[in-house]
Amino acid sequence: MSDTNDDKDVAADGTGIVAPDDETPTWRERKERTEGLSRLTYEYFERARREDQDLRIESDYVERDVLAFPTWPHEMVRNLALTSFFVGMIIFLAAALPPHIGAPANSTQTPAVILPDWYLYWSFGLLKLGPLNPELSLLGGSKLMADRAYGVVANIVVVGFISIVPFLNKGAARRPVEQPFWAALGVGGVVFAFTISALAVKNLISMSSTLLFDLAFLLPIAATCISYAVLKSMREGYMFELNRRYYRLRPPK
Amino acid sequence: MADEFAKGFTIFISAGLAWMTLAGWYNTPSFEGTQLLAPNPTSGLTVYTQVGLVVKEAMLWFAVLGFLTFVVVIPIARKARDAYTGTPEIPE
Repeated sequence: MSDTNDDKDVAADGTGIVAPDDETPTWRERKERTEGLSRLTYEYFERARREDQDLRIESDYVERDVLAFPTWPHEMVRNLALTSFFVGMIIFLAAALPPHIGAPANSTQTPAVILPDWYLYWSFGLLKLGPLNPELSLLGGSKLMADRAYGVVANIVVVGFISIVPFLNKGAARRPVEQPFWAALGVGGVVFAFTISALAVKNLISMSSTLLFDLAFLLPIAATCISYAVLKSMREGYMFELNRRYYRLRPPK
Repeated sequence: MADEFAKGFTIFISAGLAWMTLAGWYNTPSFEGTQLLAPNPTSGLTVYTQVGLVVKEAMLWFAVLGFLTFVVVIPIARKARDAYTGTPEIPE
């Protein structure tokens, strides 16, 4: 087969110089694999694939066309191992370090420190947003609603925003580098959960109350910006465009 | 490297659990006060208590040094040896 024949075949195919299928690497991909991290990544996966292939050839496991491993024994062995570990840990801790049981609550006396459980500190902190409640000049310098009502509204707003997040972005991205903005927003939300929790227990934190209040809102913004910048710059090393192509090729469920 | 990390991590959590248990027995005078880090008891020591305190110290240092050995020292030694002998990290 001569070169001219090849050219004719390709031209007749109507595909030009585009690779005939998704398996064939393009010239750009070949170039990208020749150096640096991309070369390392390529060699790693190539070696992993080869080891996988060798193991498959050596083994006497009957390869069947299945979608998953059978529940018994594969999944159950793993689950039982994990369950045994945690049950054993609970039994050990309960036997070796039995928890302290305090005196019964005195219902006739208000406790000195009133706090919800730690996982509700964020909600408790949202009740302390009084300084953000604006004094409206239209109302003669008074506030539209009391600080406590404002805190309840803040809870509704935050919970409402969290509940609409899944509807805002339903992309197929699985890694933060693919969606830097949304990943950074999530980082900011997590940091805000911690800072607003710290605000809830501001009496126990040896820091100026106003400084803590300011930090509760500035730290999440700073974390969002930093993580956005980091994720945006990480795209280069992960061959973002190439990977995005693969993700687009993935068929829908 | 992953194997060495698993060994170091296993040492860390196992010895750390033993240390935490013994410190919970001997160095936690009350639930409300200092936990695990209170000073050792000085009076009324039985033989079991004395052995427990020694084992507690041993477990603490085993957790720290064992973790550092497997996660830091051994990998560094291997890297240094590879660099000395000229073995490439990724063979072509």
